[in-house]
Amino acid sequence: MKSFVFTIICFASFLAQSQNNAIGSNEKLVFTASYNMSGLLTDLAQVTMETSEVKTSTSTLLRLKGKARTYSKWDNFFKINDLYESYVHPNSLKPYLYKRDISEGGYYKFMQYNYNHKTNTVKSLKRKRRGNGTYWDENKNLNISSSTKDIIATLYHIRNLDIHKASIGNSDSFKVLMDNEEFKITLTLLGKETINTNIGRKECYKLAIAMNNNNLLKGSNDNLLWLTADGNKIPVYAKFKVPVGNGELKIQSATGLKN
Amino acid sequence: MRLLVTTLAIIAAILGLILSILPFGSIALIPIITAFILGFIAFKMAQKEGANTKFVKVIFLITIIALVLSIYRSVFEDNVVENDIETIEKEKQSKEDALEELEGLEIED
Repeated sequence: MKSFVFTIICFASFLAQSQNNAIGSNEKLVFTASYNMSGLLTDLAQVTMETSEVKTSTSTLLRLKGKARTYSKWDNFFKINDLYESYVHPNSLKPYLYKRDISEGGYYKFMQYNYNHKTNTVKSLKRKRRGNGTYWDENKNLNISSSTKDIIATLYHIRNLDIHKASIGNSDSFKVLMDNEEFKITLTLLGKETINTNIGRKECYKLAIAMNNNNLLKGSNDNLLWLTADGNKIPVYAKFKVPVGNGELKIQSATGLKN
Repeated sequence: MRLLVTTLAIIAAILGLILSILPFGSIALIPIITAFILGFIAFKMAQKEGANTKFVKVIFLITIIALVLSIYRSVFEDNVVENDIETIEKEKQSKEDALEELEGLEIED
């Protein structure tokens, strides 16, 4: 279930770009995450992706917030309350701080990455809860490549790519930092498709996502993402295969869009 | 053979009932339909052998209850997320902590 929810949150990136022209500063996307068993779907959780501006005394950053909450009917059996945040540069979407606070059933974990782009390092903090309710911390300094991002920043980064310039079959790889390890994600443009969604009939880019050296996502063309083929590149639909089965993510509403 | 089919039918019916009580939605239909098919086979076998069909009828009753419950839940129960104070506070605190962390950072333009 943990990897299932994490995968719901994880949908990642393509080509490098410096200017943000797809992500608004007050955007809210709401999704329904469902588990698929023999073609029958059961709705598990609501996933929300929100953006907002935050100001420090010296700069303005974009806060990218991802939330996963089980629907109330599930809370008595297995409650999920996850919060993912990435604080990024509003134009380049370069991350400066990443926070992951997950509470799934009785499992709790907190991760924080403080990026230092000058030295290409990340100061990592991992906090877990022991069986007796006390917490333990693990601090680490990690070396990363200059393009490495956390999963939330990567998710928004993909939306900011010039996918219209790519040809069908084109693919690219990106580095994502998860659980103190760098993973390579490969994205392939499979084509364009027009699909019905809760926000209307949309022409979309169909992308395949593969994750190297990690068993979170199974198969090579089993994890698919549909992004609207417009200026906003909203992720409207995703299908994924994880160790515990198949899942889907469908958009419910989209507000505060930039274009 | 009849005993095996009847046993599988009762297992499927009970599983269907459990899944329809739990919020599994349409997934509960898998054991419910299985229970119906196996129950029907068990009923025909019992009739052919001239055996008592009472137990098979109980299986059908359980299956029908599970089916009604499952349909009721999928039609009338909405997907709602509880907005509890604890979560709101968690998000607020997380943002405040983040701003403290970012205050010391050098951000490139």
